[in-house]
Amino acid sequence: MARIQQRGLRDFDWLLAFLAIGIVAFGTVQIRYAQPTEGYWVKQLIGLGIAVVAMLAVAFTDYRKLINIAPAFYIFGLLLLVIVLIPGIGLKINGQRAWIRVPGIGQFQPSEFVKVTTAMMLARYFGRHRSGPLTLQEIAIGGLILALPIVLILLEHDVGSVITYLPILFIVLFLSAIRIRYVIAAAVLGIVLLPLAYWVGVKTHLVKNYQQERINVILDPEKADRRGFGYNTWQSILTVGEGGLLGADTSTAHSQSSLKFLPEPHTDFIFAVLAGHNGFIGCILVLFAYGLLLFRLIAGAKRAPDRMGMLVIMAIVGGLTCQIFINIGMELGILPVIGVPLPLMSAGLASLIATFIAIGFAISVQLRRFVN
Amino acid sequence: MKFEDSSQNIRGRLWIVQIFVVLLLAVLGVRLYYLQLVRGHYYAEIAQNQRIRLLPITAPRGVIFDREGRPLVDSRPTFNVILSREDLKGRNLFSLVKPLSEALTVDADTLSDRFAQISSQPAFESILVKQDVTAGDIAWVEAHELEFPELRVEQQPQRRYPSDGMLAHVLGYVSEIGPEQLKQATYKEKGFKPGDVIGQSGLEQTYDEYLRGRDGYRKVVVDSRGRIQDEIETVPPQPGQDLITSIDLDLQIAAEEQLRTSATKRGVILVMNPNNGEVLALASAPTFDPNLFSGRISTKEGRAEYAALLSDPETPLLNRAVQSRYPPGSTWKIPMAIAGLQQGAITLDHSNLLCGGGITVGNKFTRCMGNHGSPDVKAAITHSCDGYFYRLGLKMGIDGIVAMVDEFDLNKRTGIDIPNEVVSWTPSREFKRRMQPRSPEWNDIDTVYASFGQVYDIITPIALLRSISGIAVGGAMYTPHFVKEFKPVGEPGAADYRPSRGYVPLDGSRPNPKKVPIPEDIHHRVIEGMWSVVNAGGTGAGIRMAGFDIAGKTGTAQVVSLGKDVGKNKDHSWFVSYAPAYKPEIALVALIENSGFGGHHAAPAVRRVYDVYYRKTRHEEPPGALPVAKTPKPENNNTPKKRETQIAQN
Repeated sequence: MARIQQRGLRDFDWLLAFLAIGIVAFGTVQIRYAQPTEGYWVKQLIGLGIAVVAMLAVAFTDYRKLINIAPAFYIFGLLLLVIVLIPGIGLKINGQRAWIRVPGIGQFQPSEFVKVTTAMMLARYFGRHRSGPLTLQEIAIGGLILALPIVLILLEHDVGSVITYLPILFIVLFLSAIRIRYVIAAAVLGIVLLPLAYWVGVKTHLVKNYQQERINVILDPEKADRRGFGYNTWQSILTVGEGGLLGADTSTAHSQSSLKFLPEPHTDFIFAVLAGHNGFIGCILVLFAYGLLLFRLIAGAKRAPDRMGMLVIMAIVGGLTCQIFINIGMELGILPVIGVPLPLMSAGLASLIATFIAIGFAISVQLRRFVN
Repeated sequence: MKFEDSSQNIRGRLWIVQIFVVLLLAVLGVRLYYLQLVRGHYYAEIAQNQRIRLLPITAPRGVIFDREGRPLVDSRPTFNVILSREDLKGRNLFSLVKPLSEALTVDADTLSDRFAQISSQPAFESILVKQDVTAGDIAWVEAHELEFPELRVEQQPQRRYPSDGMLAHVLGYVSEIGPEQLKQATYKEKGFKPGDVIGQSGLEQTYDEYLRGRDGYRKVVVDSRGRIQDEIETVPPQPGQDLITSIDLDLQIAAEEQLRTSATKRGVILVMNPNNGEVLALASAPTFDPNLFSGRISTKEGRAEYAALLSDPETPLLNRAVQSRYPPGSTWKIPMAIAGLQQGAITLDHSNLLCGGGITVGNKFTRCMGNHGSPDVKAAITHSCDGYFYRLGLKMGIDGIVAMVDEFDLNKRTGIDIPNEVVSWTPSREFKRRMQPRSPEWNDIDTVYASFGQVYDIITPIALLRSISGIAVGGAMYTPHFVKEFKPVGEPGAADYRPSRGYVPLDGSRPNPKKVPIPEDIHHRVIEGMWSVVNAGGTGAGIRMAGFDIAGKTGTAQVVSLGKDVGKNKDHSWFVSYAPAYKPEIALVALIENSGFGGHHAAPAVRRVYDVYYRKTRHEEPPGALPVAKTPKPENNNTPKKRETQIAQN
């Protein structure tokens, strides 16, 4: 054990940890800028402290032990999602019953944690030693593992979270030797079916008016209803655009967020705040930092001692990439507005801690690459 | 990878994932490049605009003073509740009608009318909801900021005119620029916008550009709901230039008083300085309250009031001194006498003409009210002998009368500096052709009519007074005007400095004064006649003031033919005068509509105004209380019997 600890300090992925902490620190500055009069940035720093402790705890625990009891975590996660649905315990915010009130801390969103437990469960199922391609039965069971939390989250009306779950399964299946023709078939089908489904949805009024407006504003923000459903996207575009190369020269009190033109500036629209404040150069640096973080994780996956480790890291990569792209894409007006937080940046304890736990997992996998 | 087998190619798939990650991040980077670097300035401008508002601060107009610095019109600060356009976008205006009309006690119909009217204009900045609000209204607006963030309270100076209508026709009024005016080039050039308050009549209109201040503004930062968060810059308004007028408030009050207490309460009293054209008083009755236009007009009651003014048969909106024409009656004899002597129709040595109790031209007899024998010109003026002037007119001929009209500018506007002055109607061959197309020829009988201030002579009081003033001072006819000085505003040398400005005639091409060549001896003889009217037992003897020689001429102008001149068709009563006779300081005309003989009604009114002037300038009581007016000899009640005189006012 002492040897592991010694080696641990040497093999510990310092770059990964500090990259994550650095992004959170930079994000906290943006949160403070976005809501100078509120205490969100202090909460975020406290959250960072908790998150780092959680990360270290996970990192120095053998991930194999954790994955072995993954079903227990998985079921516990599902229970949390059920509890959220109980009125009185679950908090309803913006029409979504997705938060649990926790005395002392405030509220937290279990779907963020369940993402980790689901990834663990998938890694456990697909991580067994295998030869040959995936069978359809295996794919179906993988789907079922994902479907259970998704259905519960859908009951919370939290569509955004659901979308960030899908890539976890996709990437696990992709890396679990699914036949490449299935992948291509699924891609082609997706490209064809998605617009078709939208068109059918519009025609049959299953896609509601406001949802259509959110799509329209992406297609043509100039002509969209800037004061109605297009408001958020339009204001976000303005905030980002105003940033220019080096950031807008508007004083803090007169910023888009301070004057409340930009909604939810400390959570969903934190990247717009960053873009307006720091300009193109700041944005590119942040994208670069995220890229580096993801590459570092992928590099860790490549060196993972077993399939389970590789899968759990890559599931995390899939979830993070998807969330980063959806969130920033939404803020830049290329994706419709759905409430997905930006990992490591948006104010919110659950997302922050869950992300650090995931990173802790990845570090744990790497720490044990020479063991055995 | 230890767990990899050949069939799975995990490494390759990881590469695909890696490329996928790079691709997604690259998409975001390209989009950022487009938003921030390609379109950055465009979005920055829109973002700026949505948080910056320019709130105008209305500049107070210049105060208008009388010649002694007593304020006639000033502005008092009032507060209006307005709807700001920028914050109304996307909100249905008409949904606001009910809550606002109830909370601010504004008439709902008026409000929705105004909304309908203004929302059809593309460039409105704000909509007035309620004018001159109370502290309670302001408190309500502030308390409902969250509910109605587009409501603002705006300070606006409001013009305050004398509420009894004193000087209303001179001062004019201001009101909001109308939709039709906004389309006219003259207003467009000056950059007026909806909601601007401009001078619409009187001095307010003529001198709008000097009285008008330059609006300032507050540049403020608003939040997404339009609430003001911060103030970036304040440019204070520059007030308009104060105007010192030539009006003498004491004389004005006296003149108004005389009209108010006159028999018909309709008429004009006009006082000017014959030595420079400064108008000292102009009263026109009946009058109106100009505050209606600067304030109440936007309410239902105000509009009803305006409609009533428009349809009032007594035409209170009309400035009778410059917008009404009246037959001048015997006052016409003064320029006739001057011109007769100038033209040689009579001479100083041989100015006697037969009165004859009237004259027969063709088969028509036109009579004189008395029998004056063969008076000379002085006696003919003193006793207002019509027979004399019939014969003088015939000697001068229509061409001689037209030359006189021309000489004394009776066929032109005087150029007074208030708007809408009308041109008098004066005798000429063309005028006859127009008036009577069936017998267009000018005959001797027409010349007779034209020579005693009836039928073809229909002139404005201002034109008459200007000619008499000119005669009083020996031939210098000044342009009547109200401006003495516009006070400077600002620091000398500053870019926005507005220097002092004196009177400048509106029409610079006309000489001021116009010099009429009246030889001294002719001038003297006619003056003697006018002096005698008051001081030597003439038709105005009733108003004599010992030691203050009033020279004047009565006039009694027929409105309808003889026999019908009763009640509201009574003759107009004139008295035109100046004083002192041989050293003129002040000229004064009074016209009391439909009241009867000139010496009876107009002359006493004139005398009471002179009393005020005398007290002011001589610092003592005027000599002799005004005697009770005796009935002087009636004069010139004789026009052609068959034909009704066309006319009177306007």
